[in-house]
Amino acid sequence: MRSERDDEKLMVQYLLGNLSEEEQVRIEDRAFADAKYLGALEAAEADLIDAYVRGELSPSERLEFERRFLTSSHRRSKVEFARDLVRVTNESKAAQNALLERRPPAWLPLSNLFRGWNPALQFAGILALLISVAGASWLLVENRAIRSRVAALETERRNLETRQEQLRRQLTEEQDRTGKVAADLQKPPSVSAPLVASLVLLPGLSRAETGRAQLVLKPSAQLAHIEIVLEPRDDYPRYSSEIRTRSGEEALIRGNLRRRRSAAGDVVSFDVPTNALDAGEYELTLKGVAGDGRAQDLGYYYFRVQKP
Amino acid sequence: MVDPVGETRRQKWSLTQQAFDGLLATISPDRSTAADRYLAIRRNLVRLFEWRGCATPDEYADEAINRCAKKIGDGEEIRDVSTYCIGIARMLVLEMSRERGKEARPLDKAPEPQIIPAEPEGDAELRMECLRRCLDELSPDNRNLILHYYQGEKDEKIKKRKELTRMFGVPAGTLRMRALRVRETLQLCADNCLQRRG
Repeated sequence: MRSERDDEKLMVQYLLGNLSEEEQVRIEDRAFADAKYLGALEAAEADLIDAYVRGELSPSERLEFERRFLTSSHRRSKVEFARDLVRVTNESKAAQNALLERRPPAWLPLSNLFRGWNPALQFAGILALLISVAGASWLLVENRAIRSRVAALETERRNLETRQEQLRRQLTEEQDRTGKVAADLQKPPSVSAPLVASLVLLPGLSRAETGRAQLVLKPSAQLAHIEIVLEPRDDYPRYSSEIRTRSGEEALIRGNLRRRRSAAGDVVSFDVPTNALDAGEYELTLKGVAGDGRAQDLGYYYFRVQKP
Repeated sequence: MVDPVGETRRQKWSLTQQAFDGLLATISPDRSTAADRYLAIRRNLVRLFEWRGCATPDEYADEAINRCAKKIGDGEEIRDVSTYCIGIARMLVLEMSRERGKEARPLDKAPEPQIIPAEPEGDAELRMECLRRCLDELSPDNRNLILHYYQGEKDEKIKKRKELTRMFGVPAGTLRMRALRVRETLQLCADNCLQRRG
């Protein structure tokens, strides 16, 4: 695999016009297809121009560069800009260096203090200064050590406080949890209310208006499962059912029902959303649907819906 | 200089509005998208001619586009205008090289290394003034980057760039692209300043 450095060299050779037509085409196609590569090629061009204006190219490279770059006005302006940029960056570098050179060493003002004194006084002065510096340094070191000890003690105290606070919080949480558990234990066990209510309509009983079945729909119930037990004579390929209120208002019609086997015998069953049934008296008509589509009333069932 | 449009040899075909509309319609049915793509194609063509050392890359790019538009006008089916134009551009480069080779020159007129003609001192100073002004307009980060990224020679430059990579906390490639874009912005600003002042 070609490394970035190899790519860079190849780009420079391309920019200097030293590659075969095939290689040139390959580089150009890649540059037009890959924005990152195009950027790298443009950066390589900028660096090559800089190298030229800084005189870093070999004589042959310089010749190739001039043949290739100084022909178009656009590229010439790039070269001129690079020259100006070098000048500006050099100025900036010089300014930085000058700033560093101009900054006097920290000890310089002190040495100026003794200038003009006689040698004995100069010696005494320097000695006194050294003693002062040593004393100040010792005090500084001692002061720093004390401060660091105080800071360590302070940190320790803060850690202890934090730990104490944590323990207090844990204790409160534990107490709350225990109280809640005790309260829960005292409550009677809750029985989850069923989501489906059931109504089984038996032949003979429910078919007579006197034997009224009850469908109790608790607030939690969402569906009412109605199961009608068939008599042996009620033999049809399909069944339908109509539920009406006592006043004859249609509440629900279910068609295309099929018999199925259950523990109670052959049954037809279906589910009704509880919100379709208000509290009150209902009449359910069960119909047998023959193969030719003709329907035959099989029986009428009466039930009461209660919503506690 | 080689004439890109071959005016001396044959009647010049110029781009008509109809041919240009046809070119744009082939690039994209949406005129706005087509215009954007047309500009990108032309930019790439200029780049290619410049990379190949052509003296007038803009003129050559226009010639490549004109030839492509003419083909479309003649009823040729072109699937990818960009690739087609690049193909024409390469043919033009070959024509350019052949024409150059054919040119008979006396020995004293043989190609010499070219140098940028010396410009009056005032122009150079004006350019520097514009550049300094444009540098001041950059954000402190960008100014710092461009002044340090292109500072120094060879090893010193490499060291400097490594330091900048650490300082900005980005990979070397990313920093290089960032420096290049700042450089391009700076040059554009300096050129505009010079035009206004000139």
